[in-house]
Amino acid sequence: MAITEAHAGRRYPPNDPYQVSAAKIAEFATALGDDNPRYRGDSPIAPPTFAVVIAAQAWNQLFNDPELELSLDRIVHGDQRFSFSRPFRAGDVVVATVTIDKVRVRAGSELVSATVDMSAREGDQICATQATFYHAREALA
Amino acid sequence: MKATVAEAVEIGTQLPSLTVRFTRQRLVRYAGAANDFNPIHYSEHFAKQAGLPGVIAHGMLTMGTALRVVTNWVGDPSRVTSYSARFPRPVVVPDDADGVEVEFTASVSGIEGSLVTVSIEALCDGQKVLGAARAEVDLGVRVPHRDHES
Repeated sequence: MAITEAHAGRRYPPNDPYQVSAAKIAEFATALGDDNPRYRGDSPIAPPTFAVVIAAQAWNQLFNDPELELSLDRIVHGDQRFSFSRPFRAGDVVVATVTIDKVRVRAGSELVSATVDMSAREGDQICATQATFYHAREALA
Repeated sequence: MKATVAEAVEIGTQLPSLTVRFTRQRLVRYAGAANDFNPIHYSEHFAKQAGLPGVIAHGMLTMGTALRVVTNWVGDPSRVTSYSARFPRPVVVPDDADGVEVEFTASVSGIEGSLVTVSIEALCDGQKVLGAARAEVDLGVRVPHRDHES
């Protein structure tokens, strides 16, 4: 069976903890062409949208859930929303949990909204991010 | 943070703009940095199969780059408390040396105490490639009220 409205509310187990490193922060900032000094040095913080590096691992649980029959190469990102309690810092060990918020089934496609909650392993909330993905059920070309 | 920001801010304040070029090399670099290996961001074959006109930039590359306008302005990126955007149309990146130009502009659209909302526009070929892009920053100090001035 494929993804349906009934999958709203499905919550996946937490991902393996992700350890934020100074090297990965610098790599991400460089990919954005961002030379802000706060992203470099011995104890950097991460660019806010670094959250997707960790969220993507949680999304993969959903994209790889055989019951939903989603295919990554037919997924297009519709929107993204972040709220930050604090920045990600080098040394953080982050636990991410993904929940399906809403599914809208259309002719030949689905819109899937999901939230990823990211907290430090010690328990303090760092960031929550909501995304909507557009999934084409069949290849278009 | 830059001490002068809160003093000078009011509704309509324009932030310094930013123009960047997205090339295929940039997409590959971002894919690796973000662990986002969706093939529509590097393969013409998969992009066409997904109904796209060609290889497109990651929405999050556009969104992440757009936020530089805000973090450059405020100085301290940890002041960003929320950020949201839609992806109304893709940024198609040609397979050549020049890539494609994206222009980011932003202005202050809301002030509440120390919280300032910045609305961002991203244009590529004259078309909006981010929709309703808004970042909220906490300047840490109350922004002076100017409603009764002028």
